[in-house]
Amino acid sequence: MNEVLAWLLFFFILIALLVMIVFQLMCLADLEFDYINPYDSASRINKVVLPEFITQGVLCFLFLVTGHWFMSLLCVPYLYYNVKLYNQRQHLVDVTEIFNLLNWEKKERLFKLGYIILLLFMCLFWMIYNALEDDGHSI
Amino acid sequence: MGPENPNRPNYPLRPAATPFASQQSSTPFSSSGPAVGSEAPVFRPGPPAASNFQAPPFAGGPLVGTEIPAFRPPPSIRPGEVVRPPPPPSYGPPTSGFQRFPNPPMSSAGQVPPPHISLTGQPVIAPPTRPPPGPASPFSHPQPPLVSMGSPPQSIKTGQPNPNIPPPADQRFSTPIPRPSSQPSSPPTGTSYPAGRGTYPGYANMQPNSVSQAPPMPPASFQMQQGGYGPPMQSSFPLQRGYAPQAPPTSLLAQQRGYAPVPPVSTSSGLYSGNQFQQHGIAPAHQGLAEDFSSLSLGSVPGSYDAGLDITALPRPLDGDVEPKSYADMYPMNCDSRFLRLTTSGIPNSQSLASRWHLSIGAVVCPLAETPPGEEVPIVNFATTGIIRCRRCRTYVNPYVAFTDNGRKWRCNICSLLNDVPSDYFAHVDASGRRVDLDQRPELIKGSVEFIAPAEYMVRPPMPPLYFFLIDVSISAVKSGMLEVMSQTIKSCLDSLPGSTRTQIGFITYDSTIHFYNMKSSLAQPQMMVVSDLDDIFVPLPDDLLVNLSESRSVVEAFLDSLPSMFQENMNVEAAFGPALRAAFLVMSQLGGKLLIFQNSLPSLGAGLLKLRGDDIRVYGTDKEHTLRLPEDPFYKQMAADFTKYQIAVNVYAFSDKYTDIATLGTLAKYTGGQVYYYPNFLASIHKEKLKHELTRDLTRETAWEAVMRIRCGKGVRFTSYHGNFMLRSTDLLALPAVDCDKAYAAQLSLEETLLTTQTVYFQVALLYTSSSGERRIRVHTAAAPVVTDLGEMYRLADTGAIISLFSRLAIEKTLSSKLEEARNSVQHRIVKALREYRNLYAVQHRLSGRMIYPESLKFLPLYGLALCKSLPLRGGYSDVQLDERSAAAYTMMALPVKSLLKLLYPNLVRVDECLVKNEEFDTKKRLPLTVESLDTRGLYIFDDGFRFVIWFGKALSPDITKNLVGEDFATDFSKVSLSQRDNPMSRKIMEILNQCRKSDPSYFQLCHLVRQGDQPREGFFLLTSLVEDQIGGANGYADWMVLLFRQVQQNA
Repeated sequence: MNEVLAWLLFFFILIALLVMIVFQLMCLADLEFDYINPYDSASRINKVVLPEFITQGVLCFLFLVTGHWFMSLLCVPYLYYNVKLYNQRQHLVDVTEIFNLLNWEKKERLFKLGYIILLLFMCLFWMIYNALEDDGHSI
Repeated sequence: MGPENPNRPNYPLRPAATPFASQQSSTPFSSSGPAVGSEAPVFRPGPPAASNFQAPPFAGGPLVGTEIPAFRPPPSIRPGEVVRPPPPPSYGPPTSGFQRFPNPPMSSAGQVPPPHISLTGQPVIAPPTRPPPGPASPFSHPQPPLVSMGSPPQSIKTGQPNPNIPPPADQRFSTPIPRPSSQPSSPPTGTSYPAGRGTYPGYANMQPNSVSQAPPMPPASFQMQQGGYGPPMQSSFPLQRGYAPQAPPTSLLAQQRGYAPVPPVSTSSGLYSGNQFQQHGIAPAHQGLAEDFSSLSLGSVPGSYDAGLDITALPRPLDGDVEPKSYADMYPMNCDSRFLRLTTSGIPNSQSLASRWHLSIGAVVCPLAETPPGEEVPIVNFATTGIIRCRRCRTYVNPYVAFTDNGRKWRCNICSLLNDVPSDYFAHVDASGRRVDLDQRPELIKGSVEFIAPAEYMVRPPMPPLYFFLIDVSISAVKSGMLEVMSQTIKSCLDSLPGSTRTQIGFITYDSTIHFYNMKSSLAQPQMMVVSDLDDIFVPLPDDLLVNLSESRSVVEAFLDSLPSMFQENMNVEAAFGPALRAAFLVMSQLGGKLLIFQNSLPSLGAGLLKLRGDDIRVYGTDKEHTLRLPEDPFYKQMAADFTKYQIAVNVYAFSDKYTDIATLGTLAKYTGGQVYYYPNFLASIHKEKLKHELTRDLTRETAWEAVMRIRCGKGVRFTSYHGNFMLRSTDLLALPAVDCDKAYAAQLSLEETLLTTQTVYFQVALLYTSSSGERRIRVHTAAAPVVTDLGEMYRLADTGAIISLFSRLAIEKTLSSKLEEARNSVQHRIVKALREYRNLYAVQHRLSGRMIYPESLKFLPLYGLALCKSLPLRGGYSDVQLDERSAAAYTMMALPVKSLLKLLYPNLVRVDECLVKNEEFDTKKRLPLTVESLDTRGLYIFDDGFRFVIWFGKALSPDITKNLVGEDFATDFSKVSLSQRDNPMSRKIMEILNQCRKSDPSYFQLCHLVRQGDQPREGFFLLTSLVEDQIGGANGYADWMVLLFRQVQQNA
């Protein structure tokens, strides 16, 4: 039963990550179509960048602690990339250059999005698998 | 010329020409013979050797025959020609002769080769006359130029190939010169030749190559030439150049692409014939003949000397920036090129074509460029109707909109939408589709107009001009005298600040604390308030820190008077720059305006403090090199973004004798549309005039406030990136808190659709701003550019100045993300790719071995590219330029208008000693190539790059002159001597010359540096490193650079 609960937790964390990334993408898209000015866009994005990084780190850590080393391993490249950006102080969007970097910022986040969705499906699979297994035992 | 030009624009015509071209293509040279048909044969028989020469014209005549009567006259000439030919030796000379012939015919045929002519100058006159004298003279004319250029000299020198030739050559030489002016025929050639003439001196050098080439060529070239020449060539010329009129229209068509008329010639080869000849001898000048391209002979030709190329024959922009005239003539209603320049006026019609153009398609915009008196931009007030704009794309009404439906509708030229004409704006349309009230509507006849914007163009009431000063008063500022010069200058400018009674002004000074000044008009003396809490900056007074100048004038003056003495005893070495910047922001954020920062040392306290990251030599050459040129602390970028948001423009004046991290401070100016002024080692005794002039100009020039700029363009193309000092507010909207005439912006565009179906693409630059008088205005520049289907046409319409301006910005941006080396390589690669693509256009039809070919329009591109690689931001490595100077130059070049940039890259070098001694009129036109060889030890030279003068005293210069100019102590160290007016005619004269130079370029003050020959390292520092044609450090000299480019062009060609 614990397994199922753990997977449920991972699932919600992943959903949270997903929401944060989609939010950033929306801000960038709004900026591109001129619904929002670069100052607001950059400050909104920058507000969620660190939470995103931290959530992702926590997720990776939880995977490890709960013994799901394979899932943890899958998270490592993402984590490494985030840490690298942070160390180079490039994790925040630069408001002055935002238009020149727009395409790159979007591409980066789309990749992250794909990555998270992949994790999400694996998480779902394990959750259901565990749940069914539990059922089997109970019978 | 005028008439001709029109022809060019008519691309449609081309088709007709094309037929020829096609023929040509199939029959390169040999084909020409056939084309000529019976005639050609005739020629040959007639005048054996000589006949050949003459013949060509004839032959051409026949071909052209029906087409161009004018040509025939030349036949009559034949006799004369024959005489010349004596040197049947034929090939070498003949060819040349032919070429020339063709030209003459052309000239006669094509009335005027305007564009070319303009270059040389001579040709222009001739054209008109040609027709009459044409026949006889044409031959002679044409021949001389060509021959002289190439083969004759060669032959002489080498002596090998054509013994006969020499004499003829000489004759021709002499003849040609006189003729050009007198005869019209020559003009055509002249146009193309202009370069050639210039090259004459170089012949000797060239000759070897040419000769070697010539031998093989003769037979083939001959025929070809003949065929082509006679008529074809002529026709082709006109076309290309615009001569077309005379030549059959068809020829025009052909020319564009390939000069159709002459089979051989017509195809790309049009040039060919020319080229071939050119090959022989003339290095640069070739274009004349063929027109399509210019070429340079390089040593690699088999049999030629290894020496290769003739240095004197290399193209040099000694006339300064030459704008392509043909384009302006094509679209007379376009805005002036001082406002908008396209890198190529021919917009490619497909993405595949665009991808073969490696020079970036783009534009350089200088929206507020200074206009000469009489050409001011007209101001239009649409008070009653509202500004007429397209409903869909928001384009402003302009001369290219079409009125239809009897004047009730107008069609937008950019998006083709049919708009209603407001009833107040209605006017009837006459039979030709023109509005009857055209002459009262400047917006419908002028490419540049200014609309007065109604309230819907304002988000707040127009702001007053506002100047705020943030002044460093630490010990170095006081000691260097900066404070005093600055206070005096500001005080002297108070009367001429724009905005009359609305102008606002304010001051903050700082060292380790921040000092505010209450300037309330009721006070007699300003009140100073000191804030020492740097972590939590607050403004001690809500009002009165920023006051109306006219009301508080006396307080402001009292403040400026006392400022230097107030801090006389200040021993504080700290600079709380970051907090002071915040304080200034708090004070200004209500209104916006212009913030002038006077910074003397590295920010050392509070937010935004900067480390002495220095110029670490170990970092150079590594992947981290570029980080030195990037802003170190994000604080400054964030501040810059906030400044722009609140319409504050920042100008940074930096004076330190030590490292001040201009790379970081400059971002403030970069993103706010400002500018960086850098005075390393500022000393009032030396730099006073410079600071005074530049600060005065900054304060008093006409400034546009709280501006935004957008460039619209027709369907299918889109501006994708912008380069310069500004911040983007949305994908295509440039935020410019303050703009003035010294700022230019570059943009690159790309094709969105795979195929453009329109004939013309329109561009419209709109700058919405608040004028100093408090009016909201929109300045609109409109330009049209033809869509072309052919790469050669794009090259023909290229504008070197705009290309270089764009390149320099791209290269400087590249230095921010990679090594200097890579930035230089990127410039070189682009030039090589462009030349290689160009070569591929013609390589099939022409024998190009050993020659470097380039379009006439881009003949200076390699040189400017070289100069760019040697400019301060890109030059060398660690030891060549100080990091701060590099950054300051980079920020400056990012904003420089085209003309100033070109002057900075290829400065003027003029000799003045003769002029001083004889007290003659000073002629700025006599510019010299920038190489050490231009410097005569007996001479006195002025080197002027728009930012400084270097006056070079030759070793053997008469001591009299030196004495007169610098006084009795002329033997002492020049670094301690400054040039000032003395009481003798020579000194007065030179000051007059210097002032004359300064007046022509008032954007910056050119400080004089005196340099004596052999006085190292001073001479090297000031002058030798700036002689871009010489080998400096590890960089190439001009000749080596050309050889290098040539080799690279040939690789994988």
